[in-house]
Amino acid sequence: MKRTNQLNRREFLAAAGAAVSVPYLIPSGVLAARGRGGANERITMAHIGVGGMGGYHLSDMVERRGRGEVNIAAVCDADEKRLANAVKTAGPGVDAYRDYRYILQRKDIDAVVIATPDHWHGAQMVHAAECGKHVYVEKPACCTIEEGKAMVAAAKKNNVSVQVGSQGRSQPEAYLAHRYLVNGNIGHISRVDCFHYPSPEDNNPVPDSDPPAELDWDLWLGPLRWRPYNRRYCPGSFRWFLESGGGQIRDRGAHVMSCAMWWMGADGTGPVTIEATGTPPKKGLWDSAVLMEVTYRFKNPDWTLTWTQMPRDKLPAAEERTGQEPGGKIVRPGYGAIYRGDKGKFIHWGGDGGTWAEKKAREWEPPAGAKDVYKSPGHKEDWFKGIKTGEKTIMNIEAAVGVANLCILGNLSYILGRKLEWDQAKQEIVGDEQAHRMMYRPQRHPYHL
Amino acid sequence: MSMNNPKKVFLAAAVVAASTGTTEAAKGDRVQKLISKIRDDSAEVRTNAWLSAGEVGAPAVEALAKVMTEGDLEVARAAKRALWKIVRHCGRPGAGNERRAVVGELVELLDDEQPVPVRREVLWMLSEIGTRKSIKPIAALLSNKELREDARMVLQRIPSKGAIAALKAGLKAAPEDFKLNIAQSLRQRGVEVSGLPCVKLVPTKKTNVKPL
Repeated sequence: MKRTNQLNRREFLAAAGAAVSVPYLIPSGVLAARGRGGANERITMAHIGVGGMGGYHLSDMVERRGRGEVNIAAVCDADEKRLANAVKTAGPGVDAYRDYRYILQRKDIDAVVIATPDHWHGAQMVHAAECGKHVYVEKPACCTIEEGKAMVAAAKKNNVSVQVGSQGRSQPEAYLAHRYLVNGNIGHISRVDCFHYPSPEDNNPVPDSDPPAELDWDLWLGPLRWRPYNRRYCPGSFRWFLESGGGQIRDRGAHVMSCAMWWMGADGTGPVTIEATGTPPKKGLWDSAVLMEVTYRFKNPDWTLTWTQMPRDKLPAAEERTGQEPGGKIVRPGYGAIYRGDKGKFIHWGGDGGTWAEKKAREWEPPAGAKDVYKSPGHKEDWFKGIKTGEKTIMNIEAAVGVANLCILGNLSYILGRKLEWDQAKQEIVGDEQAHRMMYRPQRHPYHL
Repeated sequence: MSMNNPKKVFLAAAVVAASTGTTEAAKGDRVQKLISKIRDDSAEVRTNAWLSAGEVGAPAVEALAKVMTEGDLEVARAAKRALWKIVRHCGRPGAGNERRAVVGELVELLDDEQPVPVRREVLWMLSEIGTRKSIKPIAALLSNKELREDARMVLQRIPSKGAIAALKAGLKAAPEDFKLNIAQSLRQRGVEVSGLPCVKLVPTKKTNVKPL
């Protein structure tokens, strides 16, 4: 879909609505999908945040463009060097923006991929939805409970398809693990223990300084309260401070606990209590817990989920593999989860772009009458399907916010040093006024929900 | 003990005064020990110190704020973390007296004589535990160019009608370039604001990067 001298999709749909007496002109997918793209129509994309995972997404989308799946209209970043690189990657005809809101104003753009630092996810996803864009947003979905509520509401109100980048759900061995577990191979599961190596400590703290010339520090901070630039905040190290990335629990927790909630059939549910302990870094700017233990208790049905950041020598040993397995060799053995049932246990490693299931799940042959589970065609393919059909994505915003809430609540309990009680129906912390206030963090003007 | 006898009353008062003096001395001692460890050369000692600051509580607030402004980066950071630990500890359910005492100390630190970074940090501490009594001193900072944005966000977070009233008053008094900010806080708190549109979707920042 080129911008110039052609009807864009929305204009086409408007015209189609007016021309209802000649339906033979309209592709069937368009009529069936009420405002969504037709089945054979290319989706026009823009990329907001093009460093790190954003760079990966852009390269991936360039390949898809080469296969005729999508158009790429624009790239955007608060860092001019990254933006210039993205322009080179995307090639001719792709516009460059520092401010993502220029992208949201463009009527020819159908969908955006948001891969900015975590503290931007909530506001940008909500703004994109309010402008009618479909959204792929990196995980974790949100940094606060109230951001998550706003994201769910915005997606619903504006009828847009949202996929959150917990892509572990779409991996081939995730399907095998899910199918193995729901067919009762380890019996009734009452406990899932997630494991991960520690968050790092900043061993090279530096004083605050002026930001580099290429970085718009005000825009990078966005919704966060203002503070002077420090080069230990970014680019990737936002991950290690609680206000943004939230440490391993929010980074990989959004993957490993995503698998747990899905495989346990627990999307849409939440814990009743959350209790965390941890050890902080001994110096430096970063403040997320180095070691950490969180226990989530679920009721009706009763089960326990734990998240433990442990020394590397305490991690479970990774399975030996040949590399011929569906997920190949285990290249990131430092995280995963152990599922404990009354007939045995099951372990997987990874949970993100690499998800590796224990051999017994991979080799299990379903007997006649066995339950099957949804098999994702790929995380982006699943999103495109959501855009074109209106079906829920595998990591839809409701599910993703549910997982992000686990991560947020774990960190809140750690920060406050006390057990929290959670009311899933009301989506709020109960019996603790301070914790209740911390469900929400006011955002700087004008970078707010 | 009957208090009809003046001699008994005098003796009782003396006992209370003596025990209060002992308690105050003990508190002062705990604060000094905490500060000394916060200033220690060892990162481990500093970390253990700030982790234990919660129970020292309000008496340590002023002293920690002073250390926050000292030159050593890591010592200042440990002091800040100790203050936050106190805020998180005193905000626990059932600790109303401790919380009020800490809030009282924090409000003192909003004074003009304190450095801006200290006051900014204190504002955010009050966003978590601030009570009705802290609203007026926070609202006063709506007219401070360096701190007004933090002050309006903090008022937005404090769940009381008084905070909303302070924001409304702040809006009336605000210069043009700050009215939209306060209007946003009021909208967030469910107050209708007319004539001051939300500009969150209006792009403002141009890039120098050209397309190929």
